[in-house]
Amino acid sequence: MGKVQLQISRRTFLKGALTGSAGAALALGALEEAAAAPSGKGATPWYYRGEIKRAYSVCDMCPWRCGVIVQSVNGRVYKIDGNPADPKSRGMLCARGQAGASFMYDPDRLRSPMIRIGERGEGKFQEVTWEEALDAMAQKLLAIKEQYGPESVAIFGHTSGEFWFTDYFAQAWGTPNASKPSSSLCTSPREEASLLTVGLPVGGHEPVDWEGVRCVTLIGSHIGEDSRNTVMQDFTRAWARGAKVIVVDPRFSSAAAKADYWLPIKPGTDTALLLAWINVLITEHRYDAEYVAEWTQGFDKLAAHVAEMTPEWAAAITELDPELIRTTARVMAEHLPQSVIVPGRHVTWYGNDTQRMRAVYIINALLGAYGREGGIYFNKSPYIEAYPHPPFAVAGSSGGCSAEPGAENGELPVGPSGKARADGARTKFLRGPTAMQELIEPMITGEPYPIKALIVYGVNLLHSIPNVPRTIEALKKLDLVVAIDVLPMEHVAWADIVLPEATIYERFEDVWTVSHKTPYIALREPAVEPYADTKPAWWMARELGLRVGLEKYFKWETVEEFVATRLQSIGYTVEKLREEGGVIVQKGKPYLSDFKGASPFKTPSGKIELYSEALALAGHDPLPVYTPVEEPPPGWFRLLYGRHPVHTFAKTQNTPLLHQLNPENELWLNAEVAASLGLKNGDRVWLENQDGARSGPIKVKATQRIRPDAVFMSHGFGHNAPGLSLANGKGASDAALITRYALDPICGGAGMRVNFVRIVKEA
Amino acid sequence: MALYAFLLDLSRCIGCEACAAACIAGNELPAGAQYIHLIEQTHGVFPHLTGGFKNHRCYHCADAACVKVCPTGALYKEDGLTRLNRDVCIGCAYCTDACPFNVPQIVDGRSSKCDACAATTKAGGQPWCVRTCPSDALRYGERREILAEAHARVEAIRARYPKARVYGEAEAGGLGVVIVLPDAPEAFDLPANPQTPLLLDVWQKVVQPAAVGLTGLSVLVTGVAAIIARRNHMKELAELRAQQAQTEQNAGAQEGER
Amino acid sequence: MNFFRSCENANHSEEKLLRYRVGQRLVHAVLATSFLMLLFSGLMVLWPPLLLWVRSVAPDISPGLIHRIGAVLFMAVPMLYLLVDRCGARQLLVESFTYDKDDIEWLKHAWRYFMGHAVGMPPQGRLNAGQKLHHAGVVIFSATVVFSGLALWFAKGYLGPAGLALAATIHGLSMLVLTVLLVGHLYFTFVYKALSAMTTGYVPKEEAMIEHPKWVEELEHQSASGKSF
Repeated sequence: MGKVQLQISRRTFLKGALTGSAGAALALGALEEAAAAPSGKGATPWYYRGEIKRAYSVCDMCPWRCGVIVQSVNGRVYKIDGNPADPKSRGMLCARGQAGASFMYDPDRLRSPMIRIGERGEGKFQEVTWEEALDAMAQKLLAIKEQYGPESVAIFGHTSGEFWFTDYFAQAWGTPNASKPSSSLCTSPREEASLLTVGLPVGGHEPVDWEGVRCVTLIGSHIGEDSRNTVMQDFTRAWARGAKVIVVDPRFSSAAAKADYWLPIKPGTDTALLLAWINVLITEHRYDAEYVAEWTQGFDKLAAHVAEMTPEWAAAITELDPELIRTTARVMAEHLPQSVIVPGRHVTWYGNDTQRMRAVYIINALLGAYGREGGIYFNKSPYIEAYPHPPFAVAGSSGGCSAEPGAENGELPVGPSGKARADGARTKFLRGPTAMQELIEPMITGEPYPIKALIVYGVNLLHSIPNVPRTIEALKKLDLVVAIDVLPMEHVAWADIVLPEATIYERFEDVWTVSHKTPYIALREPAVEPYADTKPAWWMARELGLRVGLEKYFKWETVEEFVATRLQSIGYTVEKLREEGGVIVQKGKPYLSDFKGASPFKTPSGKIELYSEALALAGHDPLPVYTPVEEPPPGWFRLLYGRHPVHTFAKTQNTPLLHQLNPENELWLNAEVAASLGLKNGDRVWLENQDGARSGPIKVKATQRIRPDAVFMSHGFGHNAPGLSLANGKGASDAALITRYALDPICGGAGMRVNFVRIVKEA
Repeated sequence: MALYAFLLDLSRCIGCEACAAACIAGNELPAGAQYIHLIEQTHGVFPHLTGGFKNHRCYHCADAACVKVCPTGALYKEDGLTRLNRDVCIGCAYCTDACPFNVPQIVDGRSSKCDACAATTKAGGQPWCVRTCPSDALRYGERREILAEAHARVEAIRARYPKARVYGEAEAGGLGVVIVLPDAPEAFDLPANPQTPLLLDVWQKVVQPAAVGLTGLSVLVTGVAAIIARRNHMKELAELRAQQAQTEQNAGAQEGER
Repeated sequence: MNFFRSCENANHSEEKLLRYRVGQRLVHAVLATSFLMLLFSGLMVLWPPLLLWVRSVAPDISPGLIHRIGAVLFMAVPMLYLLVDRCGARQLLVESFTYDKDDIEWLKHAWRYFMGHAVGMPPQGRLNAGQKLHHAGVVIFSATVVFSGLALWFAKGYLGPAGLALAATIHGLSMLVLTVLLVGHLYFTFVYKALSAMTTGYVPKEEAMIEHPKWVEELEHQSASGKSF
């Protein structure tokens, strides 16, 4: 051992001498090198251990997807940096992106396909070959298809390879019950509200024209804690340029600490604040009258609607100072049209979220922000053809945070045996992509028709879907559960078949296409070989497809071939894309001026619909209305949850580097309330919700930074998965305490901030 | 020779910890080692609050107490930065006590702290934390340029933060991390006037050389003296024996005379 | 048992006198060993070339560990002395801090003794005034080195910059004095060929007669009266 290290050390010394950059150690001479190496403490830095290989890819540590350059030496990834040519990362990365290698080299990773040998949930498995696992899966799927139709297979997916299962395989197989948590558990309200109001999706990359913005308003959007790289870059640069920042949050978030105005709103009353702002803008004639006249419809109805909704009216509801409400509305107006309320991301809060988001967009319209420099630009998808596959058995409806417009306006997609979605679209709620949480009920009750199989790709079922006991019940009833994942997450224990996935840096992946101000296409090539017996999602989907009679969709043999075919449509090859730095940036049409008088708004009227005829026709409020939400009884707190900057969902808590930075979540509790409960910083408590669900223990963070009527914790902790050696049992799970949700009647979103908890000192 | 420094703009830092992660990843820090810690600061009572993040890291003091107490020279100054050569560190942990900012930690039995990514920066690169900082709160370059940037940034934020100031221009002899502070140092848990006790200079500049020097001198002196003194003593003994023999002889003679 | 309580150095003959009893020699050996361990590991700290050389031959050696083991042994010496030779320990403490007229006179002419001239010095007892000073120095600076060392060892993290500076300075200065004392100690051992006192325990009566006439007298008086104390 010592000898080997010494040899490496000498080579280093030589290389250092040649390049003149061996660093401090070199300056102290050869004696020290020789002396230091055997001790193993002064090991050679990775960038001197051999030739550095660079690969272009796109980060998979969160759904934002920054372009990266992956540096590896001798087949091991050491450093992942932002790709300077990438419009999202611009050469930088957040903590999670920096930890990509740590995630990949997590010793707890799933190594081999497995088939369950114990009871569901017990976590007893036997390692099998890929042949055995895929054959078993195919056989079962075909049997279910035979008996119940292909629609009885639900497919849930998230992360970089979701396309292969929730889109490609699902549509080829013929199930409309494919779903992504990024829709009904996250962004559906803002997407549907945007489609209803301006006829355009918000899209994966919120189209705020940060470079020129002069006033930014955040509602419950905690940039900094929500550490999406580009947004942090844009926000802090706008702030440094002097843009006014208004933050509405019951919590003094990192962003609130930067704000010029912080509105510590009572949770659940945001729509009242928004309506009061509209009231001020209209009654004080502070809106962009010319823009409103040209590009909107329904202004008079809106003006009449908000006439009585004064700041004083809202103040009584929101517990904010009416003057602060008035002042902030004026500040927004002073900077129009470079004044924007940021759409936010996770907006499934109270079940009335589509209406709230409509109010947000109405203000943006009154400020004249859409299509204006420094306002909200128009996203454009990059031009590249889809792979020329034969027509799919069913149209897609899984959505995601970049849902395309129009898909939901017509008929619901219908599967080969004549069944549409089982999630209650059109009955329980009006429109929107498949609502994941609404697919659980059919698994239990068989209504409207039974769902018998579930393929879960990268979605932690027990940390993302509200009402965990119901999900467990469903998992017990299914005929087949297949979990495709990187780590032994808790839901994996409930699977019949477990398929281990190669991470993004171990596989070639379809090019990443981003709807953006400057639409772009990014290469995703592997840096190293897959770990143990793991495989890429495309390979699994294809192998499965070949086994269930879908050969015609899988004429391509490798994803490289698939990608090469697509790139051909824009005159590119993989090599050329690599030579050009891994990214192709195209020209967009971001502003109204780019449309030369034509309307970019794809609403029926071609205008921004302040008043929504579509909602009126469907029996919903055509103008946003404030509806009070249930309040916590005395002694109970509203459970708020959000992000910690170094973690993504329930995915990264076990990543060694990130675990070191933040090993467990804390319970934010107002300092005075904590004192009255006899609690101090660091005390460990349990939480119990209104239905008796408990989670903990969690460390108390007694802080002035939160209102007395709510508690807050970062999402994704409280893992109950013994295979996660670092994260298991650390902190509390907000998901476990979210047994209740309020279904948004318009978009099918699951409002999850409707749960109340009390603090108990023991389990 | 040019002095280098970091710019740390605490008005921009948004607490995302990308710097801390980049540092661990790029420097391959052993488990438990961490050179950058983000520590939330909050002042006031709800809802009248101010706050931010302390970006706790080595501040690279010109007048570095850790370098002064480091007995082995593992900590040393170079280009205005405080480097750490873990190869010669013996883990005495004097640096952990001496640092007025409480920065160095003992990990794996040796001192552990930021060395400003010595190898990468010398090869012309930027420190890992600076490269990745999404909020442009970190820069690295020649100290005078960094100082100019810091003053410009302070001027730019003065409307928002009347108490804004540059911290580290002269503190502890001038820090290698020049900080744009939106508030008083205390608000970011920084000492208003970081001090290195005079005794530290005495220890390193007087006691240590004196110890080695005087020990050496005493060995030298006694070495030379030993040869002379030993000879003297032998001579003295010989004389004494001769004298005694003489005395005995005399005594014998006297007896004989009697 | 006489061995533990008596200060009697009864075993002597016409040629040789018992200067150090077995217990004393044991204590001295422990003291010398631990001191050398401490000095060596301490020097590794002060002088990096030594550290690098040591690490190149013995990579896994930990100067810190050597220093700590040495420190424990070093601090155990007073206890050990009390255990194996209580009387000797007391005698050392009492005599090292008691000086008579002859001692003062001796010190005035110490230069002569340093240069190898023992004959003609004022008459001395069991310890000459130089030895007394040496012992007193060892006692005092061992105490300061121990206490400052304990502070550096156990109060780490609580000392703060000023406390650390003070403790380290005291530790260093004490060790400097002790090291110079050691050099002197070895010097006189060589010049007056006194090593046998610590190896065999005996010194030639002739030498003793020259350097410690009062002690020899006392011993003879004791053996004449047959009394021990």
